[in-house]
Amino acid sequence: MNKLVYLVPLFPLIGFLINGLGRKSLSKSLISIIGCASVLASFVVSVILFFDVKANGATVVDYFNFINLDSLKIAFAFQIDALSSLFLLIITGVGFLIHLYSTAYMHDEEPQHFGRYFAYLNLFIFSMLLLVMGANYVIMFIGWEGVGLCSYLLIGFWFKNDNYNYAAKKAFVMNRIGDLGFLLAVFWLIEKLGTANYADVFAHASSLSSFDVTAITILLFVGAMGKSAQIPLYTWLPDAMAGPTPVSALIHAATMVTAGIYMIARSNVLYSMSEVTMNLVSIIGLATALFAATIALKQNDIKKVLAYSTVSQLGYMFLGLGVGAYTGAVFHVMTHAFFKALLFLGAGSVIQAMHHEQDIRKMGGLKKQLPITHITFLIGCIAISGIPPFSGFFSKDEILAAAFAKNPIYWGLGVAGAAMTAFYMFRLYATTFLGTFRGTEDQQHHLHESPSAMTIPLIVLALLSVIGGFVGVPEILGGHHSLHNFLSSVLTTEVAHESAKNTEYLLMGISVAVAAIAIIFAINKFSKKPELEDATGFGKLLENKWYVDELYDSIIVKPNTAKGKFLKNIFEKNIIDAAVNGVGRMINYSSRQLRLIQSGLVSGYILFMVLAIIVMVLIWVNDGYIYKFFYNLF
Amino acid sequence: MNAIILSALLGVVMMFASVFTENKIAIRNIAIFGLLILLASNLLNIYTPYSFNVDLHNMLRFDSFGLFFNSIAIVSTLLYVILSGSDIVKVGNYPAEYFALIFFVLCGVTILSSYNSLLMLFLGVEIMSIPLYILTGSDKKNLKSNEASLKYFLMGAFSTGIMLMGIALLYGASGNFNLEMIREKTSIAEFGILAPLGLLLIFISLAFKVSAAPFHFWTPDVYDGAPSVFTSFMATIVKTAGFIAFVKLFSLRMADLGPSYAIILPVIIIATLLVGNITAVFQQSVKRMLAYSSIAQAGFMLFALYTSNDLSTEGILLYAAAYSIATIGIFGILIKMKDYTFDGYNGLAKKQPLVAATNTVFLLSLAGIPLTAGFFAKYYMLASALKSNGSALWLVIVAVLFAAVSVYYYFRVIQAMYFKDGDAETTEIDGTFKFVLVVLALLIILIGINPSILLRWYYF
Amino acid sequence: MSAIQIIFWFLSALAIVSALMVLISKNPVHSVLWLIMVFFAISGHYILLNAQFLAIVNLIVYAGAIMVLFLFVIMLMNLNNESEPQKNVWMRLAGAVSGGCLLMILVSLVRQAIEINNKVAEMKVGDIGLIGNLGKALFKDYLVPFEISSVLFLSAMVGAIVIGKKN
Repeated sequence: MNKLVYLVPLFPLIGFLINGLGRKSLSKSLISIIGCASVLASFVVSVILFFDVKANGATVVDYFNFINLDSLKIAFAFQIDALSSLFLLIITGVGFLIHLYSTAYMHDEEPQHFGRYFAYLNLFIFSMLLLVMGANYVIMFIGWEGVGLCSYLLIGFWFKNDNYNYAAKKAFVMNRIGDLGFLLAVFWLIEKLGTANYADVFAHASSLSSFDVTAITILLFVGAMGKSAQIPLYTWLPDAMAGPTPVSALIHAATMVTAGIYMIARSNVLYSMSEVTMNLVSIIGLATALFAATIALKQNDIKKVLAYSTVSQLGYMFLGLGVGAYTGAVFHVMTHAFFKALLFLGAGSVIQAMHHEQDIRKMGGLKKQLPITHITFLIGCIAISGIPPFSGFFSKDEILAAAFAKNPIYWGLGVAGAAMTAFYMFRLYATTFLGTFRGTEDQQHHLHESPSAMTIPLIVLALLSVIGGFVGVPEILGGHHSLHNFLSSVLTTEVAHESAKNTEYLLMGISVAVAAIAIIFAINKFSKKPELEDATGFGKLLENKWYVDELYDSIIVKPNTAKGKFLKNIFEKNIIDAAVNGVGRMINYSSRQLRLIQSGLVSGYILFMVLAIIVMVLIWVNDGYIYKFFYNLF
Repeated sequence: MNAIILSALLGVVMMFASVFTENKIAIRNIAIFGLLILLASNLLNIYTPYSFNVDLHNMLRFDSFGLFFNSIAIVSTLLYVILSGSDIVKVGNYPAEYFALIFFVLCGVTILSSYNSLLMLFLGVEIMSIPLYILTGSDKKNLKSNEASLKYFLMGAFSTGIMLMGIALLYGASGNFNLEMIREKTSIAEFGILAPLGLLLIFISLAFKVSAAPFHFWTPDVYDGAPSVFTSFMATIVKTAGFIAFVKLFSLRMADLGPSYAIILPVIIIATLLVGNITAVFQQSVKRMLAYSSIAQAGFMLFALYTSNDLSTEGILLYAAAYSIATIGIFGILIKMKDYTFDGYNGLAKKQPLVAATNTVFLLSLAGIPLTAGFFAKYYMLASALKSNGSALWLVIVAVLFAAVSVYYYFRVIQAMYFKDGDAETTEIDGTFKFVLVVLALLIILIGINPSILLRWYYF
Repeated sequence: MSAIQIIFWFLSALAIVSALMVLISKNPVHSVLWLIMVFFAISGHYILLNAQFLAIVNLIVYAGAIMVLFLFVIMLMNLNNESEPQKNVWMRLAGAVSGGCLLMILVSLVRQAIEINNKVAEMKVGDIGLIGNLGKALFKDYLVPFEISSVLFLSAMVGAIVIGKKN
């Protein structure tokens, strides 16, 4: 099976090359076929690999020496084990559905841009695969950067709009801040251990001092913050809505944001060694979960709500990582990939139907016109709210249970967040699909269900959102948690939360009850009488996202701009330029002077040469001889 | 040995060529053919060491270093003759004799790459120099050419005198001309004055030959005055041969020169870099700028003397090839220009895009921009200095700064070609010329991407 | 002081004085004649060192052939005091001083050289300077440089033709 490994990233790469180079000559249908087929092919290979791993265990495939310095050797190698094969399935599977969906969603683009779009998508998948498959941190970093680049390209896909470009730039810069942390961590690892291979690093991790481990893990976490949109580097993700909706689905569900989770899960050996980092991760995760949830309560843009819900759900995943529930976090990545892709694609379907209207206040009552979208969206909402037996319930419950074992306060806050999640999701659902239509007549006239290329992915994802949780049914509910068993070879077993059975039932009951109450409340409140006015008071604060963007703008962006202006107008002009020009002028001047020695007279030349010989001989005899020389002279 | 004998014979053949044919193109073709034979015989020498059974009395020694350099020199000459051959025959009335003299110079070059005795060093230097005096003055109706020739001769005689004095002192100290014997007899243990002083004098006269400051004064005047085709030859093959002679002598005997060598050489390197680079900045004529730039390049090549390790021997060979190829190309184009000033190049890119593009490659290589051969040449030189002696760091930094200065005047040509409007007038440029230019440019890029393409022949 | 020493000092003084006169005399013809005197003095030294062949060759080639050729050229071109270009006085002074310095340094260095301290020239012994031995050395040990120097002369001759022949 090892022979197949390279095929997984190869297919999207080929797709990228063909679509990228041939975007002007290929027809749209051909581009769609190439784009989708390449991902489907790698999905098929991924499935084969997945079952191979299940049967035969992990493999590392070494291709060539990527970096070869004196003592440092970094191989271009892929590691296929339980963790990466699972991620491969998510990435290629959900990725394929999004590709398929895109063929219909992007159909109005010009062929050239259509080709560009699919080329970017394929490159995105390729980078993500590289990130996940790499057998060392350096290969992971290549994919990590590739993902960042592709997100920039795709968020700014409609590059004629300045705001979109700004959003793309923001995403890129925020990611770069995180990347710096990642890079420093990798350097630190190489400096201390002389290797970046997972196997070697984890084998020798115990030789690291506790300070080193903490520093490395925190730096890695900084990288994860950027990529997975955690406080304080989360603001790019909501803005990333500027890209086409399927791209949002791709970024939020299958790729990109899960990179941070994957990286920490991959480094679980290191993380488990540092209590400080674990606490930091949990606190940041929890804070992000709650903070983003509060913002989502008052957003009116259908994609913004979903974006903040992603940030919030990512917070849960980090909470899971922080409390040691690695399997839970990965589990949540998986279920989240299903229902968040579903929700985004559903939102895309709505937006398409509404002629690119994204404000939910202008929607309402879409239930009848968009039946499939409606049903599937509802399933997504239930899943994310954590109502059993939908997938979100199991994964969220596992994280919350682990959080309770660690610290009941974590659990309390987590449940509060879950309630908010349920509330804002059903606020979104009710405002959009229930009640009466509030759009223009023209829009109402054209309302229609989306084509099958869009509804099929919705249905598939809805199905997965419903049943996806059954791979991880906890034992107390009579399951075996097969996912946990599968991943146990890679992830350290978390401390078994030894709460009594009754406590667990109680916890589950409370969280489900709270979510259910929030759902009923939200449906009641918003199906009849949605919020149409701009919020006031505290609501306004939330609507404006706690003014975090403004805060960043005034404490980071503006001072930097001012500094830049100072450097540009004063420092550069008067000091740098002056120095540079001064050097230039000095060389010019000395050139003019030196030229004069070249008089053209042979006698002059010979005179200089004789003088030079004298000087050289004198330098020559200097070591001791010069004294003797003068002594003997007189 | 093959190359020495054959180049002398080919010189005689060329002399007689003019008896049988007046056709200049035919003469050029004979020369090209001769060079091919010379190359073949030299390569043969590498694989079968004993083509001529001559008792050399250890006066010459043919090692891979010298033979490999011979190949570089012969290939460079071949490219030079193919590129500029039609201009050589236009200089004056004796095309065949010019080629004869070029073959004699090659004879000197091949002696310099294999000498093992001071006597042969002297003969090699003289056989190389005397034809050059003539070639410099070959444009007899041009006063500048005559003046340059006389200046070159006078100052050359001066340096020859110094070299003879040095050889005499060394002979006096050791009673021998043979390099190894001299080293044996004048080892550090009985460190006298005569031997090191003799070496110093030879050092000075060789520094003159490679135009290292402050013995460079002849270079700008002679390079500027000589017919451009012969300047091209002088600035490339002859100059690098001087360095090979230098390296052969001093890689063996550096320690014998005593500790002060560590002061004198850096001083000379910096002076050479300074004079070459700084003075080139203000020149208005591209030809004169190239003369100064050749001094500047010599400053880099002198690094090969600073240390003697694998990197420096590989480096000087690489430098010889990279520098020769690029300079031959630049001069080949210069000869075709009607106006030798920078303004004369204005707008060349529009009229002759291919020529301008290849010229850019050559200039970038001389400036040492990565992906050209010049980059690795400089890199090897500086790396060799650092490798053996960490305290050479400051010297390397100075050299890099001067390399930055050199970018200025090389880019002035590129700027003129591409960014200035003008009507760059050239004499007619034919397909062969362009083809050779492209070959030269490709060679430069090829070596610039992977220098081991060239260097692995050294270890063959 | 033996006779040989007397002859040595006399020849040395003659050589130095004549060489100075070559430089000092205003008339080029006189300079050439003084140069011939220098060659004679040096040939005398060669004889003292038992190198008769070298002494004779030196006389025949330098004093006989080359210098006479020189003399003819100068006389034919009618060079004299008036046609000599005037040189800058400072330049001359600088030349004299720097040349003198170089001389002084070299002489003093050679004087201090331990290699030749306490060594005297070997006279009357060693017969390498005799024509037979010289010939053997030249055609056996030094055959390669001897032959190769023919290339040097050949190239010089070609050069002379290129330069000298009328167009």
